[in-house]
Formats: sequence, structure tokens, C-alpha cells
Amino acid sequence: MTAHLVTRPRDASPSRTAATAPSRRRAAGAFAPLRSLAIAAALLVAAGLVWEGYKALGRAFGDVIPGLNVPFPIATTDAAMPHIAQIVSALASPASVAGGGTLLSYYLVETSVTLRESLYGMLIGAVIGALLAMLLREIPLLGKATLPWLIVSQTIPLVALAPIIVVWIGSAGLPSWIAVTVIAAYLSFFPVTLNTLTGLNAADPLHVEFLRSISASRWRVLVHVRIPTALPSFFTGLRLAATAAVIGAIVGELSAGTGAGIGRAILTAAYYYSLAPANLYAAILVASLAGIVFVQIIVLVEWLTLRKRSS
Amino acid sequence: MTTPAIQLSGVSKEFATSSGTTLALDHIDLEIPSGAFVSLLGPSGCGKSTLLRVIGDLIPPTAGTVAVAGMSAREARRTRQYGMAFQAPGLMDWRTVRRNIELPLQVQGVPRAERRARADEMLELVRLTAFADHRPRQLSGGMQQRVAIARALAMQPRVLLMDEPLGALDEMNREHMQRELLRIWRATGTTIVFVTHSVPEATFLSTEVVVMSPRPGRIAERIAIDLPFPRTDDTRVAPEFYAAESRVRSALHAVLDPYESVTS
Amino acid sequence: MSAFSPARPVRFSTGTGVIRALAPAAVLGALVLALWQVVVSLGGIQAYLLPAPSTIAAALVSDAPQLLAAAVPTTTAIVSAVVLGGILGVVGAIVITLFEGVAKVVLSLVAVASCAPIVALAPIFNAWFGSTSLMSKIAVATVAVAFPIVVNTTRGLLRVDPLHRELLDSLSGTRGQLLWFVRLPGALPSLFDGLRIGSTMSVIAVIVSEYFGGTAQALGVVIANSAAVSRFDLTWAAVALASAIGLALYALVALVEALVVPWRRALAS
Repeated sequence: MTAHLVTRPRDASPSRTAATAPSRRRAAGAFAPLRSLAIAAALLVAAGLVWEGYKALGRAFGDVIPGLNVPFPIATTDAAMPHIAQIVSALASPASVAGGGTLLSYYLVETSVTLRESLYGMLIGAVIGALLAMLLREIPLLGKATLPWLIVSQTIPLVALAPIIVVWIGSAGLPSWIAVTVIAAYLSFFPVTLNTLTGLNAADPLHVEFLRSISASRWRVLVHVRIPTALPSFFTGLRLAATAAVIGAIVGELSAGTGAGIGRAILTAAYYYSLAPANLYAAILVASLAGIVFVQIIVLVEWLTLRKRSS
Repeated sequence: MTTPAIQLSGVSKEFATSSGTTLALDHIDLEIPSGAFVSLLGPSGCGKSTLLRVIGDLIPPTAGTVAVAGMSAREARRTRQYGMAFQAPGLMDWRTVRRNIELPLQVQGVPRAERRARADEMLELVRLTAFADHRPRQLSGGMQQRVAIARALAMQPRVLLMDEPLGALDEMNREHMQRELLRIWRATGTTIVFVTHSVPEATFLSTEVVVMSPRPGRIAERIAIDLPFPRTDDTRVAPEFYAAESRVRSALHAVLDPYESVTS
Repeated sequence: MSAFSPARPVRFSTGTGVIRALAPAAVLGALVLALWQVVVSLGGIQAYLLPAPSTIAAALVSDAPQLLAAAVPTTTAIVSAVVLGGILGVVGAIVITLFEGVAKVVLSLVAVASCAPIVALAPIFNAWFGSTSLMSKIAVATVAVAFPIVVNTTRGLLRVDPLHRELLDSLSGTRGQLLWFVRLPGALPSLFDGLRIGSTMSVIAVIVSEYFGGTAQALGVVIANSAAVSRFDLTWAAVALASAIGLALYALVALVEALVVPWRRALAS
């Protein structure tokens, strides 16, 4: 059916053309990652220009909007807003901790500790969540009773319980990293359970009917139809879990006050802000990038797992 | 001689594909008189939907000219001479039935009072006045199509282009809608170009059936349907109808397999 | 479900249907509470470790003045951030849609960036606006709210039904008319998706940034401080209050959505 072949005679904007010549489409596809990188780079450069531009304006006007006599919302001194070059050089400079190495490598090590704890917690929470979701799916009454609470769990700040968990673990004499793992675990548990349950329930009734018509057991229906249907939803929950786990880990480290991790490092940098403002920005930059990479790895796993599916 | 509503001269359309170019339409010459109901009938890949969109200036032809009531197709679209109805109703969920019909008038900048009057007129025409304030999702598929047709007719276009609008309906609704479509056509006097792949549908609705052959799209045969109006369910069982249908059917079979012809 | 697709919004259907649907959940909740109460009271778990629900309820009552006073700046920050973040998010989404060629790529980049732990920005905003100022909390939460709104609204704006596009073309409609008649109304459901997520993110962001420092009168600070001195009944009470605020905000957004996007309800039924 040629119903989609609509080209605009006067509008040259590429995205409007539903029927781009396939050869052009293929070429665009080949360069897509490069194009994304180029646009990302352009956006970062633009952001940097805005940063430095704002600073320059502030320095020129002494941090007061001329004519209106209103102060700039954010001070533009180097203490408040270090130059980008200063942040970068801070990362490259030696860290004042035992073992030497640059600040960047120090932060990376700390981040890897945080991420490792997040990962353990996330995996534990996700596995328990997925298993529970299967149980809830097979016992409809339990599922109906639990689903509203699962939905509620997504609207309340569960991370607010983090300080309690930290004190519990501490008073039990266990090291603080266990608290972080527990926090990541329970933060992961809820989105994974909710999404997996929704996915299990969304199995195509035609498929289920077909298997039942050939007397397949409930177990087989689960394995052959429900779980494959639920996989995408499971991964959606996992992505949410990953984001939440990183936040939870950082919050846990804050509350713990001892131990390693990028949360601690940020706190330290904030404490010594007046001495080295650029360090705080550097630490936060590393933490943000690490969080992004962590979730993107999950996205990669998702893509690899779901790649072979047709629909 | 009145200006034909639609005049196509040597219209060709090429599409670029991964393996070079495809000729979708090959030198189509067609004249459609004002007020006619013409069906474009053919197997898949014969380019009937493409031809419809070329007529409506949604796709530019690679060669040839399209004239609508004396103007170029582009001019006709600019002055909003076209109403279009597609396979799916394409109504907007966020508008009521009445507001959906008013949409073309809003785009045209018609003032509110006039818009409402025109929409009410259209609702009367398609017999959906009682559902004016309903939302599209509350209506059945057939009713939604009627709203889509009302929307297409809201600006009183010279030409109504329809791309298999009744394809998604079940048999009984389809026949009912065909009767309704004929009634609306007789009431408004619009020229209708109707794409279909159903022989009985084309025969029942049209004043002329244009049978197209595929790859590349060409006009294989033009069959005038002389059955009298109004056409009712009785028409469907009349011997003249079977005769006309058979002529159309054998023309269609001829383009499906050029080495075999079916005697009527 | 996409990364930002939330659980289904609450439906305000009337009648016994709702009661019957929620009855199992209510029973489960009551059972869990009862179990909790029994285990703590009889199981000999030290009260300071895990308070019984009755103890927490008592704290809610006895410390009500302190809790409510703390709730004021927190709620102000949460709501301000939702409004500010909402406006920023919608504006950002429209801007991205204007550059049709790169819109999809920019959208995916923003979606990727939103995975960053926004709360890590709290110390920076504390440095800029002062750790006790409300503005520093609002700033963090605004960023946290803006992200899901930009992502969801842009997705909604970019998702044009090809039929509607063809319709506008056959009517010789302008790009502006396409935006006004088709894109914007079509994007409203997605906008509210983002708003619902954003409201939850706002609560989390404000509370966590209060952990980084805030006025003595703020829920997050109450939580952190009371946990530090092991007054867990107060901590749980404050968490319960924060959760109630989060739920109320979510319900408010769902209510506004039911009013502004009534056709969505018809879709679901």
C-alpha cells in the first residue's frame, strides 16, 4: 500500500518526508552515531560558551544588571563559578591523598566503589523483584492487593528512609557499604517489581489461549509467553532502578559519613569549598558522568538482550 | 462543454528506491467531468493511491500536468478545493465530533458563527447531529468515517478524494455506508475520485470505473456504469448490475494475468 | 513503556468499582501494619531501632507543630520547583521541536543526560544560593523536574499522526497551524506524563538536597537530624509526612490532568 508516500513539494525539511530515498536513509543510518556525537559535542560547546559568557558578562558589569540595579542571580567570581579550564586543571592536578595520582583518578576510584555497591544492590533488588512479580502474577489476589502499593511506592520519596537504614546498619556493627547496598536494593526492588508485573500481565491473550488449548502447564505459559513479553518492561524497571540506585548510594554515603564513595568525596569537596572551589565541580562532574554511564550500560544490556526480537 | 473537474495529461511518477527508480505511474491521461463519481480500481501496486495523491497535490508528478477546474493542482490545494478521506478516519481525540468537522474551517479562518452553522449542516448531511458533542472514541468505526467524510465536505470542496475509506468496515456497515455516500454525493454534487480494490463496491458507487494495471501504473480500461440513480439494495441484485460487474471483473482479471481473459 | 513512562494515572471512577478494586490492597495494608505492630511490641525489638506504628503515630501527634512547621518550606520548595520546572520543560520541548532535523537526536541526548544523579548538584546550588536558602533546594528540584518534562513533552510534540499531517497538508495548512492544531493538543497527555514523574522527582530532590544542608525547619533536615540522634519515631513520622505530600501532589497533578485531558479517560475505558 503506497499510502505513506507523501512528499512535500515546497518544504525541504528532511524529517517531513516519509519516503526518503532508501539510499539516503541508509547513509544517514550509517552515520547516525557520529551525528549524535557531533550534536552532543556541539551542545556541550554551547553550554561551555554560555557558562563562560555569563561569567564574562558578570565580570564586565560587576554582577549587577545595568539600569535595573538587580544583582546577577549567580555570582560570577572565580570562587563561585570557576572557569572551565580551572575545573579541568583541577582534575589533572595531583590529589592530596595517600597513593598520589591525579584528582581525576581519585574520583574515578571513589566512583567505582559507589557504582559497585549500587550494582550489587540493584541486582539483588531486581532479582527479588522479578521473582516476586512472577509470584504475584500467578496468585491474582495477591497481585491485586500489592499493585496499588507498588504504584504508591513510585510516588513517595523512598530514598528518605536512607538515613534510617544507615543508622541501623551502623548500630548492627556492619560496615557502611552494606547500608549503601541495602538502600540501592530496596530502591531497585519497587520499580522492577511494578514494571515486571505489568509486563507479565500484558501477555497477548491469543498466545496464552493457544498454549492452554494444547494443554500447556502454567509453568510453560509463564516461560514461553509471559516472561518474553515481560522482558522489555523488566528492563524499563531496571533502568529506573539504576537511576534510583545511584541516587540512593550517594545519599547513603552522605548519611554514613564514613567510608568511601563519590558521595563522600563530594561532601569533602563541599566542606573544603572555600579552599578549592573547582574540586567540587570536578567531583560532581565525575559523579554525573558516572551515573549516566552506569544507566547506559544497562541500556546496552537491554539492547543486546532484546535485539533479536522482531516487534 | 463544461470544464472537466479534473484533467490529467501525461502524468508520470517515479520513486527512487534502493535498486534505482521505480515507475509508479506511466503517462496517465484522464479526464473526469464535473459531478462524476469515478472509482480507481486495481490490484496492489497499480499506483491508485499514488494517483489520488498526485491529483490532490500531495505528491508532485515527475512529468505531466494536473488541472482541477481549470487551475493547477497546486493552486487548487492552495485555494482548498480538495476534501480528503483516508482509510482510517484520522479524527482528533481531543476534539468533539463537531469540532473535528470545524477543523478545516478553522484552518481557513472562517469566523466562529459561520463555522458552527456549516458544521451543523454537515452533521445533518451525514445524519450524526445527535452525536455532535461526543468524542470520536465513543463512536463506532463506521460513524467515525462518516464524521471524516463530513469533515472532508465542510469546505464544500470541488473535489472529494477518498482512499479506500470503507475498507475497515464489515460487510453490512460497508453497504450501508455506500448508500449513504451516494446520497451525500447526490446532495452536494461534488466530484468524487474513489480508490478501491473491490469490484462490487466500484460498480455500485461509480458513474465510471477506471481499471489500472500494475507495474507500472497505467490505465487499462475505462468502463462507464450506466445504471440509473438512485441505486439501492435492489440495484445490487438487478441483472444489469451483474452485467456491469462482470465487465469490470474481467477488465480487472485482464490486468492481473495478461495472458488470460475471462469472457463475460 | 519508555524510561519515563510512569504507572497508570489514578482514575477517578465513582461507585463500588473502585472500592472493590482497592479492597484487597487496603486489607493487605492493614495486615502489614498489624503485623508490624505485633512484631515490635511483642518481639522485643528495641523501640529505638524500629518503632511500632503506634509510636510513630504518637510522634506525629506530639511533634505535630515541629513537623508541620518543617513541612512549610519543604512543600513550598517542592511546588515551586514543579511550576518552574514545568515551564522550563515545556519551553525547552518547544524549542527542541523547532529544530526538526536534530530534534530526535537532541531528545535522546537529553534522555541520556537525565540519568545523571541530579541530587549531586545540591552542593553547587548551596554554594551559589546559600545552604539555608530555599532557592538552593528549588534550583535542584527544578532541574530534576525539567528533565522528565522536556523528554516526555518533546516525544509528544514529535509524535504526529501521519494522517493528521496529511490532513493539514491537503488543507494547505502552515507549520504554525500544524503546531497549534495538531502537535500541542496531541502532546498534552505526554506533558502530563512528565508532570506526574516530575512531581515525584521534586519531592525526592528537595528532601535529599535538604540532607546536604538546610534550615532547621525543613522536613529533610528533620529526617537527617532525628536519625542521627536515633529518634526514629520522629524520623518515620517525618518520612510519612513527606510521603503524604508526595501522594497529595501526585493526586493533584492527576486531577488537573483529568480536567485538561478528558479524552484520555475515554481512551482508557
